[in-house]
Amino acid sequence: MVFYENALALNEVSVQLNPAEVVGVFGSNGAGKTTLLNTVAGLTLVYARREARRGGVRVTVAGQVRLEGQDVTAWDVPERVRRGLVLCRERHAVFRDLTVSENLRLGGYLRSRAEVEESVAFACELMPPLRRLWRKPAGMLSGGEQQMVAIGMALAARPRWLLLDEPLLGLSPALQAEIVRVVGEIRRHGVAVLVAEQYARAVLPVVDRGYVVESGALVLSGTRSELASQAEVQAAYFGGSWASPRTHP
Amino acid sequence: MPELLTVLVYGLVQAAVLLLVALGFSVTFGLSGIPNFSHGGVYILSGFVCWFSLRKLGWPYPLAVAASVAVAATVGLLVYAAVIRPVRRLVLAEVIATFAVGVAMLELFRWMGLVTYEFNLPAVVAGSVALGDVVVDAHRLVVVASAAGLGLALWWFGRATRTGLALRAMAQEEYTALSLGIREDRMAALSVVLGSALAAVAAVLVLPLGLISINLGYDAMLVALAVTVTGGTERTAGLVLAALLLGLSTVVAGVLIGPHWSEVVYLAAIVAVLAVRPSGILGRLKELEERV
Repeated sequence: MVFYENALALNEVSVQLNPAEVVGVFGSNGAGKTTLLNTVAGLTLVYARREARRGGVRVTVAGQVRLEGQDVTAWDVPERVRRGLVLCRERHAVFRDLTVSENLRLGGYLRSRAEVEESVAFACELMPPLRRLWRKPAGMLSGGEQQMVAIGMALAARPRWLLLDEPLLGLSPALQAEIVRVVGEIRRHGVAVLVAEQYARAVLPVVDRGYVVESGALVLSGTRSELASQAEVQAAYFGGSWASPRTHP
Repeated sequence: MPELLTVLVYGLVQAAVLLLVALGFSVTFGLSGIPNFSHGGVYILSGFVCWFSLRKLGWPYPLAVAASVAVAATVGLLVYAAVIRPVRRLVLAEVIATFAVGVAMLELFRWMGLVTYEFNLPAVVAGSVALGDVVVDAHRLVVVASAAGLGLALWWFGRATRTGLALRAMAQEEYTALSLGIREDRMAALSVVLGSALAAVAAVLVLPLGLISINLGYDAMLVALAVTVTGGTERTAGLVLAALLLGLSTVVAGVLIGPHWSEVVYLAAIVAVLAVRPSGILGRLKELEERV
């Protein structure tokens, strides 16, 4: 559970991610997807401590994060990243003044030089445009290119569990399909992916299982085919709140 | 024409002095957002440490410089841990706390009686050089070369090293940097330590141009603020440009009006930049620009 002051941002949400599977977390804007991923990655704890220090918003986090059965709830972010739990934040989170090459190298901040070289080579193999953009500042790239850089950075951290927060946000259908292909390839290389998306339709083909959250609570869960076959999901797909395509700026 | 050359040469020297004095403060503020006003105190402390190592302990010059840098870096770390960390992200508290530390250090030196003419540092290189009709101390040319070298070294550090990249990343997208496992607290401490070490480098290069005077600590705070506000903190080029503008302006003001007008130039620059372009000449903080 996560509270911001007295507002309940996440309530009794429990998700499980098994090795080498892609699990979707679907929900509308403000449903709690980002809070869920930030909490699993440890960022909500950082935010809570920071706010407590400056007397700002009171953030309460309850519940457990377990990695292969081990309770890592109290671990800070670097420890989780070292263990292989890596978050790729929403809105094409790149360092705008750094070049693509610098962004990718920084992704492997906690890894050895050899490991970074290997994982950056893997990222470039998955997303060939990265090589062409190597020396460009990330801030000069298109949204799709920035998303590739953001995913490349996360890959440079050598994840075993990758948390992708709205990777399709603001992308054209063609670029969305490309990112979905990349997610499938990442899974094929043994990395488990938890992908939060508002636009479920595009990402569903690559998802093994999924959860639907609304107003911070879990409302549905099931395999891809179960989710797709449920009447309410179908309704939501074609005109409902959580799966309807957004208009992008 | 010879006067113009004199103004240009001494303006360049003054710009190098300003850049050196401001660099430590700017680096800390630019990388972690910490306005470390203990800078002036650390600057003068470094001068005294160098003087003590040279004159009282009889250490060779490079060792005395190393001691100054080491002491300044350690003091920076202590200031961060004891004073800044408890009030981190409370900007006003950071300003007040670090300013109090800087003033306390400087006034402590005054109380200890460190105010006599014996406190001076030797020039790195003795003698003078003629540039056309203008004769310049060799040490002033060392100051110019050092400022350029230090600027380039910082540029390289920010691009070629993992720590430099992490510091830049933290300054740009804090939560993304945190999500990669970069520790904010460690980076903030490092930025203060780096800034304090740069204050020591500035001290051993700039203080030989005169006496180690406690008032120069207050001047250092003003200069650091003027260069940082004028240039903006996001790009080293902005700081260099600000130092050049302020350096030339103070020399011109000194020649045309009087040497005591230099501080007016700094204050006028701060007021003018804040009124017209608050993120600095090459600054890119949109939220600041939109307020004008």
